[in-house]
Amino acid sequence: MSDRTENLVLVLPGLLLLALAFLVPIGQMLVLSVEGENGFTLAHFSRFLTDSYYLGVLWRTIRLSIVITAICAAIGFPFAYIMAHVGPRIRLWLVLLVILPLMTSVVVRTFGWMVLLGRSGLVPDILRDLGLAGRNFSLMHTEAAIVIGMVQVLLPFMTLSILGILTRLDPRLEEAARTMGCSFLKTIRTVVLPLALPGIVAGSLLVFTLSASSFVTPNLLGGSRIQMLATSIYRQVTQTLDWPFAAAQATILFVGVLLILIPYARLTGARNG
Amino acid sequence: MKLLATLTASLTATAACALVSTTVLAAETITINSFGGAYETAHRKCVIDPFEKETGASVQIVTAYSADAFAQLRAQKDAPQFDVIHFSGGQEIVGAKEGLLSPLDPAKVPNLADLYDFAKKNVAEGEGPAYSIAAIGLLYNSEKAPKAPTSWKDLMDEAYADHIVLTDISNGYGMLGFLMLNQAEGGSLEDIEPGLEAVKTLLGRGAVVVSTSPEIQQEFAQNDAWIAAYASDYAYTLEKAGLPAKFVQGEEGTPASFITANLVAGRPNQDLAMKFIDMTISKEAEACFANELRYSPTNSKVELSDEVAANMVYGEDAVKGLIRFDPQVIEANRSDWVDQWNRAIAR
Repeated sequence: MSDRTENLVLVLPGLLLLALAFLVPIGQMLVLSVEGENGFTLAHFSRFLTDSYYLGVLWRTIRLSIVITAICAAIGFPFAYIMAHVGPRIRLWLVLLVILPLMTSVVVRTFGWMVLLGRSGLVPDILRDLGLAGRNFSLMHTEAAIVIGMVQVLLPFMTLSILGILTRLDPRLEEAARTMGCSFLKTIRTVVLPLALPGIVAGSLLVFTLSASSFVTPNLLGGSRIQMLATSIYRQVTQTLDWPFAAAQATILFVGVLLILIPYARLTGARNG
Repeated sequence: MKLLATLTASLTATAACALVSTTVLAAETITINSFGGAYETAHRKCVIDPFEKETGASVQIVTAYSADAFAQLRAQKDAPQFDVIHFSGGQEIVGAKEGLLSPLDPAKVPNLADLYDFAKKNVAEGEGPAYSIAAIGLLYNSEKAPKAPTSWKDLMDEAYADHIVLTDISNGYGMLGFLMLNQAEGGSLEDIEPGLEAVKTLLGRGAVVVSTSPEIQQEFAQNDAWIAAYASDYAYTLEKAGLPAKFVQGEEGTPASFITANLVAGRPNQDLAMKFIDMTISKEAEACFANELRYSPTNSKVELSDEVAANMVYGEDAVKGLIRFDPQVIEANRSDWVDQWNRAIAR
């Protein structure tokens, strides 16, 4: 066998799986989304794009995903920086700590948040005792609850992406910057941050796409009153049984994520080779 | 060469064996949906275990609420995976119309004869018989609520302030409770605007919207809920969990949810599935459901103890007196209503 056929054979199972589990369903979804009673129609898309309610759902999905990504980056970068600078033993513990949330089922973890954030939960209770919130204050079924729940789940993706880059960074670069008179913060800003950018970008891409398409956490923590795109699609499929419209929404989510990802990846790819 | 021959022979034999055993297995397994939690436990005890014992067949349970189960049934149109499917939200009407369900053969389901007429009205068209009925009324916290509710209009009483739990209309019980509130507020099946207005008022006061039964329990247990429109069986579930929950029927009337067992079309072992449905509507199974979960039976032969009968709607006349909002109208309007509801409750 030549190298080329060997490569082909090796990649074949992966390709087949991708085709069966990804391309076929996506294709079906695309077909369904333009299917009307009399053949081809774009009515489902125009219904979505002309209705302020659905546009609001779309905007909330994008807005919350951006907020979640920003918070993950703001927490993840310093965390990864510390992890990269401590000894291997402590680093192992920190890695464990950050991936711990991934080791429990998403449903169980979310139910934990429901207990903590509910009206008689720990968090609102403390805020009430401190006089910071009113009698009926509850964090459940708010956008804040979704952000809190999602940041916890997605933080490992951001932290580990950045950590991968930071551990490969030559420590002498930082030392050189400090010798040349840079303050700590300036070193971070002019040396570490630009070099860590590919990691931050990769992490942001992961976090953004995962949060834009996540379903369980927004559904449970946001409740029925705060819809995100994935929950709205689920409702169309199971409640109103309007599958073409659900497919159109799924396509919009899919295309929207692609549209954001491609220029983003290009831009940062060009800068970092 | 000889080795190869032996190998081929044994391989063929194994393959044949496997083939035989899978066909036998397929004939003796039926797949159903159940609603999870306490319901599934009771379902097992009342129908599934006795069925497995009597027929030697095994039952595979998929946990799915009516709407989810119906979505699956529709998706599997060309290769259905369920044998018997249970609905509580009137989905059998659409399912029968779309040819997803098969009519029962009365000869193979002898217990049909004992059911009240209204419970088996459209069996010939493919709609499965109702084996349990859940009555929708007002659930309240008997210790904390400032007063016991007596009518649906009481939901609007400001005394309950923000301790009201509303149920999303994606939930079958939630839909019926909403329609009843709508009716009490002057609306009808043609006009749900008064109901939506009432809901908006309640949300403005701080009411909570939930979409599943366990969430109602959570609201009562942990979040200081006082009142909710929900089913009598769930009041009993809360009571068993040690919560001071009571159920009352609103004086304007009590809507009912029919829980039906339906035969899925296009499956190979319909006889076994019909046997399962027959056992589901037997007087033993229905009495068991009533004892375990306080569902009203539809089999005229069921006799209940006074204690059980006390916290449910029981007897042909009482059950017949329940309001059944026309499921066909509900089905026809469902997507519009859900859409309007979603907009009304959206923040």
